[in-house]
Amino acid sequence: MSEDGTDSGRRRFLLGSTSVVGVAGVVGAVVPFVGSWNPSAKARAAGAAVRVDISRIEEGAILGPIPAWRGRPIFVVRRTAEILDALPTIDGDLQDPTSAQPEQPEYATNSYRSRQPEILVLVGLCPHLFCSPTPRLAIRAEPFEENWKGGFFCPCHGSKFDLAGRVYNGSPASRNMEVPPYYYETDNILVIGEDGVGA
Amino acid sequence: MSDTKKQGFIVSSLVGLRDWTNDRLPIVNAWEKHMSKYYAPKNFNFWYFFGVLSLVVLVIQLVSGIFLTMHYTNSAEAAFASVEYIMRDVEFGWLIRYIHSTGASAFFVVVYLHMFRGLMYGSYKKPRELIWVFGMAIYLVLMMEGFMGYVLPWGQMSYWGANVIVSLVGAIPVIGEDLLVWVRGDFLISGATLNRFFALHVVALPIILIALVVLHLLALHEVGSNNPDGIEIKKNKDANGIPVDGIPFHPFYTVHDLVGITVFFFVFCFIIFFMPEMGGYFLEPPNFQEANALVTPAHVPPVWYFTPFYSMLRAVTVPLFGIDAKFWGLIVMFGAIAILFVVPWLDRSPVKSMRYKGWYSRIALLIFTASFLILGYLGTLSVSPGRTVLAQVTTILYFLFFFMMPWYTKKEQTFPEPSRVTGRWITNKQVVLTLALLAALVLLPLKAVGAEVTVELDHVEMDVRDQASMQRGLNTYMNYCHSCHSLQYARYERTANDLGIPTDLMMDNLVFGEAAIGDLMDNTMRPEHGNAWFGVTPPDLTLIARVRSPEWLYTYLRSFYEDGTRVWGVNNSVFPNVGMPNVLYELQGDVICSNNASAPEDCELTHVDGTGQLSPEEFDTMIYDLVNFLYYVGEPIRLKRQEIGVYVLGFLAILFVLVTLLNREYWRRIH
Repeated sequence: MSEDGTDSGRRRFLLGSTSVVGVAGVVGAVVPFVGSWNPSAKARAAGAAVRVDISRIEEGAILGPIPAWRGRPIFVVRRTAEILDALPTIDGDLQDPTSAQPEQPEYATNSYRSRQPEILVLVGLCPHLFCSPTPRLAIRAEPFEENWKGGFFCPCHGSKFDLAGRVYNGSPASRNMEVPPYYYETDNILVIGEDGVGA
Repeated sequence: MSDTKKQGFIVSSLVGLRDWTNDRLPIVNAWEKHMSKYYAPKNFNFWYFFGVLSLVVLVIQLVSGIFLTMHYTNSAEAAFASVEYIMRDVEFGWLIRYIHSTGASAFFVVVYLHMFRGLMYGSYKKPRELIWVFGMAIYLVLMMEGFMGYVLPWGQMSYWGANVIVSLVGAIPVIGEDLLVWVRGDFLISGATLNRFFALHVVALPIILIALVVLHLLALHEVGSNNPDGIEIKKNKDANGIPVDGIPFHPFYTVHDLVGITVFFFVFCFIIFFMPEMGGYFLEPPNFQEANALVTPAHVPPVWYFTPFYSMLRAVTVPLFGIDAKFWGLIVMFGAIAILFVVPWLDRSPVKSMRYKGWYSRIALLIFTASFLILGYLGTLSVSPGRTVLAQVTTILYFLFFFMMPWYTKKEQTFPEPSRVTGRWITNKQVVLTLALLAALVLLPLKAVGAEVTVELDHVEMDVRDQASMQRGLNTYMNYCHSCHSLQYARYERTANDLGIPTDLMMDNLVFGEAAIGDLMDNTMRPEHGNAWFGVTPPDLTLIARVRSPEWLYTYLRSFYEDGTRVWGVNNSVFPNVGMPNVLYELQGDVICSNNASAPEDCELTHVDGTGQLSPEEFDTMIYDLVNFLYYVGEPIRLKRQEIGVYVLGFLAILFVLVTLLNREYWRRIH
């Protein structure tokens, strides 16, 4: 009993329980407002899987115009046998040569980071601060690298990636470029954005 | 041991932070002045909840409004679609929108009750004149805010309501016409008007509103609150200078107000989750149709909170001094609001509260209230000669309340005021009798001028839990309606999910053309073709069940009959001379107007036996399923909304028990 004769135990219990329930109510009321910031049905519909015809990509070239999935650029490159042969030789210069970090679906967790060795599919964004790297596919001396073996160079902060989207040592980026989910609907039609059946 | 030490550290840090801040900003002082040492009379009753509730609604409107602007598009081309986007595509967008639309009406409910309290207990009288004036300014800004907000969804009522109200500017002699064009920014209400209203509604008016609310509260806390007895508690202080009849606002009125706020939330949430349209008063059915500058809806009533003044505007039908009636209507309408500002100087009574005023004042207030309610109801109806007379009489009574006030408040015999505040003054029986008298005063005159004529429709109960029915309805829609109509705000995927149709089945059987599962259920017919073929563009059907009603659709679709004089060889007794052919003719068979009535509305429809692929019962079921689907697609969230509502109300019931006990605990020893 406090001095003014109130039962402080009961008062404290009521204050506590009302506060707890009240806070729960506030949290509940916040849910719809927070939820309203999630991608809407419109954004999700616009982000649905896209079909890409790869028959017109030449050897050693990138698909143009660059397709988009969920508003993000998608790089599709047809790699030559020389490129594929050269990939293991640069492992020593890379931060994650074996794709140990989960930047790709399981079916692309291999030395080529792809379903079929010659076709490379990447989300064309640098994992550093999400600029879109420029494809520099040819093997030749570049201003940013005397000894360039072909790949992608990010103009924003200078990150360098090889032709499997793997990040070079000494780049601000610390992860490989992301491989989106995709599958072959037919030999020449890629569906980007879905893993496909049996994935 | 370590626990208490830790707690001690946290508490001392908080105290330190408070003191550090207080040395630089007087927060402790402000808290004491406005909360813990603000002494409010301890005899506040039911009527004193509505001030704090106005603040609660203000916060609700600010928060929900901010979130709506994140998804709304303020252009004439996209505004309507963006509201449906909020209602369907944005996660919980429907809830935020219903909170805001219900909040608008709730704002006026609590403000009207708050104003009535002021009139009843003389809260405007010296020394509280300025509080009242600020309050009236808040009311005026609130009406502008409500009006402009109503334009933003860009439905038919938005458009035509704006058209009617803005046109009043044109009634001002000499400069009116030019001013009108300037206000609209165009020669008719248009996107330019919408954009400026958006800016005013979202930025300018809220800032003014908040500033006025702050002034209203500062002025109140300077002179102190009035109370139901209308006597000044500051006249009777104890040795410490604390009013004997006063009690610290915090904690006593904070716990007290929590009870009122919880009850308010219960009612508020009930409306949001179970009747968000409030029978067409909070969200008017024609506003589910996009603004169309070429077609005025049959009846353009403003939202309910404007209707008393709208009635007054319409009641003025005679020109005076060579100036037309429209101008005088405008004067009367704005005069009705303006006169509220000067009430503190009209009341000459020696006492404040209706408890001690005489019978003249009491009867005047009763008649005034009844007149206001009658005017409000009349404003929702279309005009008739009888109604116009009633509106004229009640308009005069409304003004007499104010014009006569200096006389009757001075003349009447008042009752002696007590020296200390008193408790409850009116008995339950007296409350019931007063309400009954008020109801009689409102309803009897309204009954005398007649009710609205309505078309007889077949009664039908929709059931959005019946997925099989809605699936059949979707099937009928896609096969018979979709080639001309569209459901341009609904998406295939959501519809499939809600109706329990696997998406691949939906894609294979019910999605035509190039459409993807996530797409809107648009159709391929171009509007100009529709115009050429049918004389009108077949309307989008997404919201048709909200614009019309399921009953109307059900009756309409079954009321086609043979009429050789019409282009398609059919007419309709519910929608005379409709441009739509009876696309279901082969299923329904022949229906004739058996009494050969000259007007389609008067036709008695008879089905010719043996015609049609379906029996009349089968046909009715098919139409029911179609309407059930359209009812679903009008508001796909309906079922989930009600499910969530049950939990919300359950939660509020628990909270109510707790805050009631807490309130009782604090007030246990206060008498």
